[in-house]
Formats: sequence, structure tokens, C-alpha cells
Amino acid sequence: MSIRLIGLEKSFGTKHVLRGLDLEIQDGHTVSIVGGSGSGKSVALKHIVGLLQPDDGEVWVDEHNVSRLDAESLYTLRRHVGFVFQFAALFDSMTIADNVAMGLRRLSSMTEKAIADRVRECLAMVDLVGYGERFPSELSGGQRKRVGFARAIATSPKYMLYDEPTTGLDPVTTAVIDRLIVKMSDELGVTGVVITHDMTSAFRISDRVAMLYEGRIRFEGSPDEFKGATDPVVRGFREGLPELMEGTTS
Amino acid sequence: MDTLLQSLQTVGRAVLTVVAAVGRAGLLGLEAVRALRKWALWGPHLLPQMARIGVDSLPIALFIALFTGVVLALQASYTFTGAIPLYFVGTLVGKTMVLELGPVLTGLALSGRVGANIAAELGTMRVTEQIDALETLAYDPVAYLVVPRVIAGFLMFPVVVILADCLGIFAGWVTAQGLLNMSSQEFIKGLRLFFDPWDVQFSAIKAASFGLTVTGVGCFFGFHTRGGAEGVGRAATRAVVVASMIILALDAFWAAILL
Repeated sequence: MSIRLIGLEKSFGTKHVLRGLDLEIQDGHTVSIVGGSGSGKSVALKHIVGLLQPDDGEVWVDEHNVSRLDAESLYTLRRHVGFVFQFAALFDSMTIADNVAMGLRRLSSMTEKAIADRVRECLAMVDLVGYGERFPSELSGGQRKRVGFARAIATSPKYMLYDEPTTGLDPVTTAVIDRLIVKMSDELGVTGVVITHDMTSAFRISDRVAMLYEGRIRFEGSPDEFKGATDPVVRGFREGLPELMEGTTS
Repeated sequence: MDTLLQSLQTVGRAVLTVVAAVGRAGLLGLEAVRALRKWALWGPHLLPQMARIGVDSLPIALFIALFTGVVLALQASYTFTGAIPLYFVGTLVGKTMVLELGPVLTGLALSGRVGANIAAELGTMRVTEQIDALETLAYDPVAYLVVPRVIAGFLMFPVVVILADCLGIFAGWVTAQGLLNMSSQEFIKGLRLFFDPWDVQFSAIKAASFGLTVTGVGCFFGFHTRGGAEGVGRAATRAVVVASMIILALDAFWAAILL
């Protein structure tokens, strides 16, 4: 069982973002997808959960071809996938507790008391005990991200998709989030896909690192392999030397 | 020649944009109909939406109706100038409020208050990825956001319009007594002269169709918002303009079909 992206193509108007992206993520692994801004990392991530439909190619989650699923099957699949949004995407008219409880309320098996207990547990995991009755507008950017994280893990999903989970956070909060991602993988066996620019985080949390460049996977390997890669594009990105990447094509 | 080609391209692009928008609106409508069976998702939000769309709209609707009734009575009296019996003031106020000005003025006012509000709210949810978040949490956003608003509009617009009709007539009656030296009996005689209960149904049918239009158009533009704060502003403006145009077209349509 795994997540597989096969020959994924996606354009927006005249902009060809994904040009035959292939990537396989094994169960229980955490894979970081790195790459320059606008390289299509978030676009690829949104295909996994069916928020975007590919122009061509296939997305498989377990035995499901996501782009072929009907609406009801897609909603069923989404109950097993947690998604952490880049800017948290909290429901601003709801309290923090209600935000975290949203996914749980779709599970008819849970009572309101069980939901409240799980909400407290998830908020404790992201160090936000006592914040349940506040509104998103009363929280800092970092706190909002942590609430987004708590909301995504509340239903104990089998897959977690993180869209830049630590961008804009201070180093301490980044370390907290990183530890949670590792914990999700090591202790709960959750499969993770992380979009990030933060190479320190990527090396800390990932079993594999994949680099997206010009709509395709340019490199895929372990963090150590990524650190030792001699491909000028990978080196240029890793070391922040754009001159190495110039004139290189995929 | 180049200018002609450019003009044709511009017209062609505009036509394609409109056709695509109509297609997307049709799809959203179809999804909304399908989502009706997901009662558990939209049911709990229906009453709060009815309060927001209906009850909260009463002040502006009644304010408009109040002054419309006053003006109708004064203008009727001015127009009749003794050639027509003054009790026809009651007839004109009643017929005009119920058949035309009650539903249309209320519909237009609420396209600004309700339509723009819905478009801005859903538009903000779209650009801040809250609608995407709903989807990832296995909520059907059409059932959760669109259906309760549209049903609330459909149910509450007739209530608001009927109340506006009543207040407009009442304002006309007070004006007739206070400023036109008409007796209450005269006004009521004119009001009853051509009164047909069907008129009230006609007013309610028009109002329900305006409710569907205002909420549906607001949801459509909110759902398809792009481009941050500017996009949200654009969606709200378009929702008001398009809903107002459809209301006026529907007004003529219902008059041709039902009267």
C-alpha cells in the first residue's frame, strides 16, 4: 500500500506546472518534496487528496485511483488523509475547539464527550492547552499552524500531507512540529508527504527526499544521498547557488 | 482589418467567458440538487441562515417599503387630480406594492445585503483555502455552504416581501389619512375594489424566485473567487450586479407567464 503519482501532468492556462511527475511513497515512510517556489509542489500534494484533477496521469492512494473516484468514494478516502495547509486554513467563524472537532464530527461513531476529549488531547500535542475557546483571529501565525496540525491529526489519519508545515515558524516551534511529524511516522505508522523549503527540517523528518524541478522529480533518495548528490540542480538548490542551476534543463 | 479582428476576438472571448460561467453555474446547481439528500450536513445550518438572510434583512426591507408606500399614495393623489375618484389611491397602492414594488425593491435591496454578503463570505473562504479544508475533512462544501443558504433564501424572501407589502400598504393608508384628507373607509374601499388573493401568491412566487437568485448567484461568485482581497471584492460586486439583472428579467418573465 502506498501513494503513487504516475506521469502527472497539470497546466493552469498556458502555465505547464507538472510535466510527467512520477513518485512513489511507501507505507510508513515520510517523504519531503523540495523545490523552488512555483515548481508545483503544492499542486502535486493537492492531487493526492483530489483537490485538483490531473490533465493526464494517475494518482493512486492504496488501491484507489483518486482521479477516477466518484464524489462519495473520494470523501470516504479523505477520512483517512490529514492535510496541513500552508496558511492553516482555519475556519475563522469557529472556535479553535470547533475547528479541531470538524473532522471528528464526520465520524458518526463518536459522542460529543469523546470528541471533546480528543480535541483536548490534540491541542495538548501541539502545546495549545486552554486555547479551545479562542478564535483563530486571536492566535499568532505559529499558533494557527499548530491548530491546523491538531485538526489534521484529530481523526488519526493513515496518511498525512503537510504543505510547508514549518514555514514562518520560530526554530523552537519548528522543532516541536518536526518532532510531531516524526512521532506520527515512528509511533503511529502514518505515511507522510511534506512540502518544505526548510532543508534542516527535511533532513530531520524524512526517510526520503524528492526534488521537484521543471515539473518532474529531478532527484529522489535518502537524506544522506541528497546531501551527497552531485547533480548541479540539486547542489544549486541545496547550497543556495542559483548559478549552478542556470542553463540546466530536466 | 486588424481593429475588426481585435474586436471580433474581444467579443468571442466575452461570449466564451459567459458560456463557461453559465456552464459552471449549471454544474453548481446540479451539485446543489444532489446535495439535498445530505440533510445531516446542511440541516443544522438552515435555521441560522434563515435568521441571517430573512430576519436580519427585515429592517432594510421594511424601511424601503415604508417610504415606497408613502410615495405611492402621494403620487397617486397627484396623478388623479380629481379626474379619478380618490379612493383609487388605495387600489394603486395595494396593487403596486403587492404586484411590483414590494417584491422587486426588496429583491434588489437584498441582492446588495444578502448576495454581496454571501459572495464575500464564501469568496474569503475560497481564497484562504477554508473550502479546500472542508473538502479534506470529508465535508461536501456544496451541501455544507450552498444548500442551507439557497434554501433559506427561497423560504425567507417571500416572508420578508409579504411583510414589506403589508407595511407599504399600511404606510399608504396612513399617508392617505394624514396628508390627502382621505377617510380610512375610502382607502380600504379602493384597496378591496380590485383585490385578488392571487396577487399575494404572485408576490410570494416572485419573491421565492428572487431568493433563489440572490443566494444562488452569491454562492456561485463566492465559490469561484480567485485572487485574494481584490478577487473577493470583485465577486461581491458581480454577485450584486448579476443578481439585480436576473431579478429584473425574472420580474418581466413572471408578469408575462402568470398575469
